[in-house]
Amino acid sequence: MRERLSFYIQRHSPIHRLNPFTKLTLAFALVLISFFSPWYWTALCLILLVIFPLAIIGRVGREFFAAALRLLVPVTGFIFLMQSLFLPGGETVLFRFWFLRVTLESVARAFLISMRIFGMVSSFILFLLTTHPSELMTDLTRRGLPGTVAYVIISTLQILPQMQAKAQTIIAAQRSRGLAVEGSFIRRVRALVPLVGPLVFGSLVEVEERAIAIEARAFSATGPKTSYREIDDTPFDRTVRWLMVALVVLSLAARFFG
Amino acid sequence: MKLLESIKKDFNTMTWVLIPVAIAINVVIGQIVVLLKLPVFLDSIGTMLVAVVCGPWAGALTGTLSNIIWGLAIDPSAFPWFPVALFIGFVTGWCAQGGLFRNTWKVAITGFIVALTAAAVSTPISVYLYGGITASGSSIITAYLLQTGRDLLTSVLSTNFLVEPVDKISTAFLAFAILRGLSARYLARFPRAGNATPEKDDRRALFIGVGIFVVLAILVANLINPAFLWIGLGVAVVVIGVGLLSSRIR
Repeated sequence: MRERLSFYIQRHSPIHRLNPFTKLTLAFALVLISFFSPWYWTALCLILLVIFPLAIIGRVGREFFAAALRLLVPVTGFIFLMQSLFLPGGETVLFRFWFLRVTLESVARAFLISMRIFGMVSSFILFLLTTHPSELMTDLTRRGLPGTVAYVIISTLQILPQMQAKAQTIIAAQRSRGLAVEGSFIRRVRALVPLVGPLVFGSLVEVEERAIAIEARAFSATGPKTSYREIDDTPFDRTVRWLMVALVVLSLAARFFG
Repeated sequence: MKLLESIKKDFNTMTWVLIPVAIAINVVIGQIVVLLKLPVFLDSIGTMLVAVVCGPWAGALTGTLSNIIWGLAIDPSAFPWFPVALFIGFVTGWCAQGGLFRNTWKVAITGFIVALTAAAVSTPISVYLYGGITASGSSIITAYLLQTGRDLLTSVLSTNFLVEPVDKISTAFLAFAILRGLSARYLARFPRAGNATPEKDDRRALFIGVGIFVVLAILVANLINPAFLWIGLGVAVVVIGVGLLSSRIR
C-alpha cells in the first residue's frame, strides 16, 4: 500500500501556473483527439510531441516517467501482447506458433489500442502531477460544481491515508495474534473477515460524530460561500481551452467527413 | 419535481459524511483483497452500503466518485470505468428499495442482478476503449473464447457474465454482514434505513432462494454458451460458500 496520496508534486513551472480547469480540458482533449482522430499515428505523436515535452516543461519529468513506468508499461505491454496474439482476423501472417496465428493487422491494431491507452492514462498522470486536488476543486466549485461534491472528494483524499494506516495496524495486530494472511486459498478467504470487520465498523462509527461537527459549522447553509484560495484565470487560459475544444471538434469532423 | 424532492431527501448531512468513508472503504478493502491475493475485487462494498441506506442516487454518486478518487490517488486508468461503478450503486439502491437486501438469499439475488448490470455496462467500455482485452486476469478467458471462433463482443460479454457474479455476490454478502453488525439506532439516522431492516432468515426460504438462484445462474450460463453450464454450477457453489462464511461476521 502507498503512503503518498495524490500524485501532486509542488514545483514552479508554467504548467503549474495554468488554471486547473485549463489543465483538465487539456487532458480530456488529448484523450478525445487520440480516440477520434482517423490518422493512425495520432496517439503516438501526441505522446511524443505533446505529453512528454509538457511533462518536461512542467518540471515533473522524472516523476512522470517513474509513474508511467510503474503504472503504464506493464499494463500496455500486457494489452499489446495479448491483443496481438489473440485478436482474430487479418491476412498477412507474420508467424505461427502452436495454435496461435499472429497477423500484421492484429499487431497493428494492438499497437493502436495500447498507444491510445498509454496516451489516455499518461495525460491524466501529467494533469495530476501538476495540479493540486484542492485547487482543482476550488476552481470547479467556482464554475458551478456543488460544494458538497467537492467536500466529498477532498475529505476522501484526507480520510484515505488515515484508513490505510488503520488497515496496516489491524493487519499487524491480527497477524501478531496468529492470523495467517498467506497460505492456502481457504485460509486467505478466512483472513478477510477479521481484517475487514474492525476496519469498517471503526470508521463507520466516526461518521456520526463528523456529521454533527460539520453541521455545527453550517455545512448545509445555503447562502453564497467565499473561498480561502484565489485561483487565476488568465486570457491565455481561456485561449488554450477554446483551442482544445476546436481541436477536438476538428478531429471529430475529420473522422466523420475526412 | 417529485423525483427531485425525493432525491434531495436522500442527501442529508449523514449521507454526505458517509460517502467519503464509503469510498475509503472501497479503496482500502480493494487493497486488502489484493494483499490477500484473492481472485475477486470486492471494491464496491462501500458503494453498496451507501446505496442500501441512502438510496440509489447516493449509491450512484458514491460509485462514480469512488472511481474518480481511485484515479486521482492510485491509478488514472480507473477513470473510464466509472459508469460501471455508477450502475452498481444505482441498481443496488433500487434492489434494496424493493426489499431485496433484508435476508441472505435476497441479498444473493441483489448481487446477481448487480453483476448482470455490471457485466452489461463494462462490456462496451472494454470493447470500444480497450479493444476487448484489458489488463485484468480474466482477459485470458476472453482470449480463449476468441480463439474458439467467437466474435469480440460475445467473448467479452461471456467473460464478464462469468466473472462478475462471484465478485458482486460476495460484495453484497459482505455489505449485508456489515449492515447486520451496525446498531438500529445508528442506521436510523440515514434516509433509507428501512431498506436494511433485517428479516427472519428461515431455512425453507433460504432453500427456495438458493434454488431460484441456481436456476437463474444456469439459465444465464445456457444463454451465453451451453458449455458454461458447469461454470454456472461452480458459481452457485462459491456463492453458497461465501454466504455461509459471511454469516460468521456477526
